[in-house]
Amino acid sequence: MSIRRIDPHAERIRRNRLHPRHHELVRPAWRWTSAEGVTRIDPHALGAIGPNGIKRIDRSGGAVDAGPAVAREAARQDEAVPSRRPVTIDEPAGYVMVVPECLEGRLSDHDRDLFGLAHQLAEDRQVAVVAVTFQPALEGLEEAGADRWLDLSALVADGYAPEARLAALLAVETAFSPRHWLFADTFPGGGDLGRRLAAKLALSGEREDERVAAGVWQVADGQCLSRAADRQDIQRRLPRILLALAECAEPLSETRHEARPLTLEARFQSSFQSSMAEPGEAGIVDRGRVAVDPQRIPLAQAPFILSAGRGIGDWEGYHHAARVLGASEGASRVAVDDGHMPRARQVGATGTFVSAGCYVAVGISGAVQHLQGITKCQRVVAINSDPGCDMVKRADLAIIADGDAVLAAVCERLGQPRAAEPSEAVPEAGSGALSKEERQHVAA
Amino acid sequence: MLQTLLPILIFASLIMGAIGALRRVRLWRQGRRTPVVWRNLLLMPKRYLVDLHHIVARDKAMAHTHVATAGGFVAAMALALIVHGFGWRNPLLGGLLLASSLVMFVGALAVNRRRLHPPEKLSKGPWQRLSKSLLAYSVGMLLVSLPLVGVAPTLLGGGVLAVALTALVAWGVLELVVGMGWGGPMKHAFAGAMHLAFHRRPERFDDQHSNAQHDDHRGSRSTALFSLDLTAEKLGVEKPTDFQWNQLLGFDACVQCGRCQAVCPAFAAGQPLNPKKLIQDMVVGMAGGSDAHYAGSPYPGIEMGKHQGAPDQAIVPQLVEAETLWACTTCRACVEECPMMIEHVDAIVDMRRFITLEQGETPPSGAVALENLIATDNPGGLDNASRLDWAADLDLPRIQQRPEGVDVLLWLGDGAFDMRNQRTLRALIKILRAADVDFAVLGEEERDSGDVARRLGDEATFQRLAKRNIETLARYRFQRIVTLDPHSFHVLGREYPAFGGDYTVLHHSTFIAELFDAGRLSVKPSEQRETITYHDPCYLGRYNGEFDAPRRVLAALGIEVAEMARSGFRSRCCGGGGGAALSDVPADLPGRARIPDMRMDDVRATGAATVAVACPQCTAMLEGVVEPRPQVRDLAELVAEALIESHEAMPVSNPNETLEEVPA
Amino acid sequence: MSQPENATAETVDAIGTVHALISSGRHPVSGRPGRAREDARAVEMGLTLAGAGLHLVHAGNAEEPALRDYLGMYHGLDDSAARGELSLLPMAAEDDAVPPLAHWLETQGARMVLTGQRAECGEGSGMLPYLLAERLGWSLTTGVAAIEAVAATHVTVLQALPQGQRRRLDVRLPCLIAVDACAPAPRQSAFGPARRGKIEIVEDVTPERDAARAEWQWQPARPRPKRLKVVKATNARERFRAAAAKSSAANGQVLSDLTPEQAADKLIAYLRAEKILVDDDEPASD
Repeated sequence: MSIRRIDPHAERIRRNRLHPRHHELVRPAWRWTSAEGVTRIDPHALGAIGPNGIKRIDRSGGAVDAGPAVAREAARQDEAVPSRRPVTIDEPAGYVMVVPECLEGRLSDHDRDLFGLAHQLAEDRQVAVVAVTFQPALEGLEEAGADRWLDLSALVADGYAPEARLAALLAVETAFSPRHWLFADTFPGGGDLGRRLAAKLALSGEREDERVAAGVWQVADGQCLSRAADRQDIQRRLPRILLALAECAEPLSETRHEARPLTLEARFQSSFQSSMAEPGEAGIVDRGRVAVDPQRIPLAQAPFILSAGRGIGDWEGYHHAARVLGASEGASRVAVDDGHMPRARQVGATGTFVSAGCYVAVGISGAVQHLQGITKCQRVVAINSDPGCDMVKRADLAIIADGDAVLAAVCERLGQPRAAEPSEAVPEAGSGALSKEERQHVAA
Repeated sequence: MLQTLLPILIFASLIMGAIGALRRVRLWRQGRRTPVVWRNLLLMPKRYLVDLHHIVARDKAMAHTHVATAGGFVAAMALALIVHGFGWRNPLLGGLLLASSLVMFVGALAVNRRRLHPPEKLSKGPWQRLSKSLLAYSVGMLLVSLPLVGVAPTLLGGGVLAVALTALVAWGVLELVVGMGWGGPMKHAFAGAMHLAFHRRPERFDDQHSNAQHDDHRGSRSTALFSLDLTAEKLGVEKPTDFQWNQLLGFDACVQCGRCQAVCPAFAAGQPLNPKKLIQDMVVGMAGGSDAHYAGSPYPGIEMGKHQGAPDQAIVPQLVEAETLWACTTCRACVEECPMMIEHVDAIVDMRRFITLEQGETPPSGAVALENLIATDNPGGLDNASRLDWAADLDLPRIQQRPEGVDVLLWLGDGAFDMRNQRTLRALIKILRAADVDFAVLGEEERDSGDVARRLGDEATFQRLAKRNIETLARYRFQRIVTLDPHSFHVLGREYPAFGGDYTVLHHSTFIAELFDAGRLSVKPSEQRETITYHDPCYLGRYNGEFDAPRRVLAALGIEVAEMARSGFRSRCCGGGGGAALSDVPADLPGRARIPDMRMDDVRATGAATVAVACPQCTAMLEGVVEPRPQVRDLAELVAEALIESHEAMPVSNPNETLEEVPA
Repeated sequence: MSQPENATAETVDAIGTVHALISSGRHPVSGRPGRAREDARAVEMGLTLAGAGLHLVHAGNAEEPALRDYLGMYHGLDDSAARGELSLLPMAAEDDAVPPLAHWLETQGARMVLTGQRAECGEGSGMLPYLLAERLGWSLTTGVAAIEAVAATHVTVLQALPQGQRRRLDVRLPCLIAVDACAPAPRQSAFGPARRGKIEIVEDVTPERDAARAEWQWQPARPRPKRLKVVKATNARERFRAAAAKSSAANGQVLSDLTPEQAADKLIAYLRAEKILVDDDEPASD
């Protein structure tokens, strides 16, 4: 924190009401210590007129603390999680099973919402929320809200094996008879597994009245609200199996749970083994991930986009760079209008809204419509020769340089320089009549 | 010897020509049959001499050449039949024969001079030969007829010279008489004459223009597309035989003069369309064969000689690539220009209909637009109830609240969803309020007029939209419809009557001109700081003959229009019509311009700083041209800007106040 | 994502007629009936796979206008005279579609059924394929983006994963394939084939009332509340600061005056740090 320093000269003037500069220095004195030693604040003397004409007083201290570096440092300290209240359940009276998605091996926000919903269902503190996972190591279960952790990875092999997983869940069903099953309603993850379980249980005839509720987004008073098709909601009695949408409940933030490991008794394990089909008869066999050509991923879903605008002169070089980086190609409206890129590749409000994890904009100055199209991108990199353009302001990393040259250098650094005739690589060659300055000027 | 050879030659050629002609007729009659009205043959001379001549006469030199050559030939042939054929060697007739041969010779010389360095639009090949054949016939006929008036010795009638002359005349009659029936270049005379008699749009020939001598835009009344019977076995045209027989006849009348090619915006932009080649391909399809013998300009970017057709073989893609059909903007410049009055646009839409309705292969963006039209009644797939969102502050009167009826129903068109066009609409509403027009809008009950669907060949969607719109309009009372969209204007005014919707539809330019004439608008005089030019929208000008009103409006503003070289009925399309903007034709071969770019170059050539437009589509296309370029302003915007202060100061939300302030 | 190289002949050998279950869709903007997004993709997949050998099935209202839209997709097939055929199992919206469908498919000897994942009207729970597969004892895959190959005992499919990724699966026949929305877009529905398509109404369907459904309350979908940024803070100042904090992107790093090579190094380093590029100088994917 900054040290408050006193300027004795200013203090002297401030005390002397007859000093010619008294008025200049007395103004900022919105806070002073009175003769009694009490801190006094004059609310009329501070604050600023906000955009809607109302006076706003900023008590955050942001205006006082010098320098963004200090502010960020302070913010980071403030963000330190307040300590959570530990919760333990020793003798659970029942179980609520949560089967988290664990995309990329981590708990997702959707998973945390499920745990929040599970605790809402387990109002009774003696009901334990159990995380049922198919992977041996998983961080954050305690904070997410798992009282118990049942890991089935020993039973089910890696990869996509919905039938084996279903058999394991059925073993869990018989072993624990949980009050509820919670799945994330996504395809082909939790939504798939949950429906398989629901279909199995529905047709096994034991609980015929129970119907799964899909698309659940609100639970209250023993009723749940689920999103049906055709802009309708269905309100019904809370079923045993719920497939819940993201943001169905608030994730836990105040408690910390023990995530005590739970095991399936041996007899249930053996019943699982016997229920499993012979290896040759599995209905679905996972043949592994398929390498996808980045150019064939729909732009809206592409995870990594190299986007080109008016600042690109060497289009061959750009396409080559996209291949080398393994990025999907995007374009600004101008690049499309000029015929350099197909319409389907246009990013922005008038083209495609993209959700890439990383968006590299080369020679795109960042028209409003374009920026609207990339609001969902997690990281934005701008390469532009104009440091003042909006894309540079938006970017997490901005490189002020000529796009063509940088891309060529990137290809070279990655060991795949473009094996083309040198004249083509010169930016001016491909850009037709426009000079470099003009291109900068009209860059969109 | 000549006396024996010539009659044989003449009669043989006439018989051969007649046999050829019958064969030709059978080719035409492969098409779908429609009743033949034989008395129409009587109309042919007038249609030829008046209507067709007006179009031919746009090229004065060529018109005179054709009069001399064709007139000379017809006279010379008729006289030769009498004099040489029947042997009635009257010196007077002989003199006439000589004179007409001479006239024809002069004409043929002009033809040959033109053929020395033929312009790009002309076909070569047999057409080059025809110019020589014309010379051969006229020279031959001249020489063999000289003895009749005693100028040359009768000696001519014998020996080598006679044989040579006979050969010359034989060449001539072979090309000009036999070829007329058997499909040489001269077939245009026979097919053309029949085409004029049995034209599918006879309305094109009864011109009711006030000035009989006028040369602008004849036959503008017949521009509505023919409606399609949706219960028919096959929808649209798949094979040449699916055309109406008189359409096939029309194709056969083509003289390959290339005027259509010269005005076609798609051809100029390097898109794979050439109207002349298209018509020739239809002839190839009708007669069977390949396009290798075609001697004119190809479709840009498509190699010649690779396509063939037959009467019972599908046209697309064996004969014509689909992209050729989708490149057309339906601007009708080719139809307007064609001296044989061939209907290119009808043929293209007929073939598009088959592709869309039977094959479901509309180009992707077009298919999306059609799906949106089916699901949401507008091509953008937007919520139709948001049609008036832009006017939330304008408090537009709804026709639903005016059961007693209004004077003007303002048809907004799909431009109501477009932010640029909303500015124009605002300007128009300001004008209507300033002039105290009693108007109302349909609001969310308004649907797309169906223009795009119809031009894309989806007649089913068009008819559905048309019928629903007509049902809606039947519920309300109004005197007339005013719209600022020439496409809606055309469809509502000209194409809805076929479905029982008869309305008085005015384009806003016409309506504003009327307001000016009635003295209901007062504007401050323009200082004419800058040059302004005016771009005629195809669907307002060529389709509906309204060239005058927009210019009157500009004149009322005190603006002098610097006309573009191609304006009025020769206006160049902006590239946005007929669904061409949705057709994903691999645009723009390298080095060629886009259609709107070319139009903007036309604008620049006048030195204008502003181009006045009267169509939302044109506005969008021309504004799509990369800056710096002249400004694009709608007529309504120019008028609204010039409205005098007292009107400008009026609160637009309260139309009642305008009552007192109407200028005298 | 390659399509099978015209597998029509082998398909017929291996699986006989391919069936597609279709339902009426609702346009997201206007709510008008039309083809359902996923069902239309299932039909597209079936037409690509089996050509005119694809048979459509619908359980529901016989007057449904959207059915013709599916029949309009029967064009561009090897047999140009082919027309679509649809079997309609008449039943009311309140009836349970699973038993009649299962019965009908069994009597037809179907071995491969394509459908969308979720219906666009009614409950739209996406349970139908699961209940049907469970009742028939078939294998089931969801989220299918493409069918790669058909063999005598199994089908090889590509399953869609988030961010455009794909997984290859072998699915044993007989099987039910639920098609994802990212499968190839359906072909246009053309008016002519739609008009010519044949709808055959299956007699002797005895639908059962869906009992559980009667207890539900249907209501127009309420807009879901946007989740607010919840700030756990002990005092007002921190709450204010959290509320007023700008997004992290505002603090981007700007690098200027670099040579292209330096810039390239910075870019590559950044991409590697963010795990976009894999460290071994290889492109992330190929």
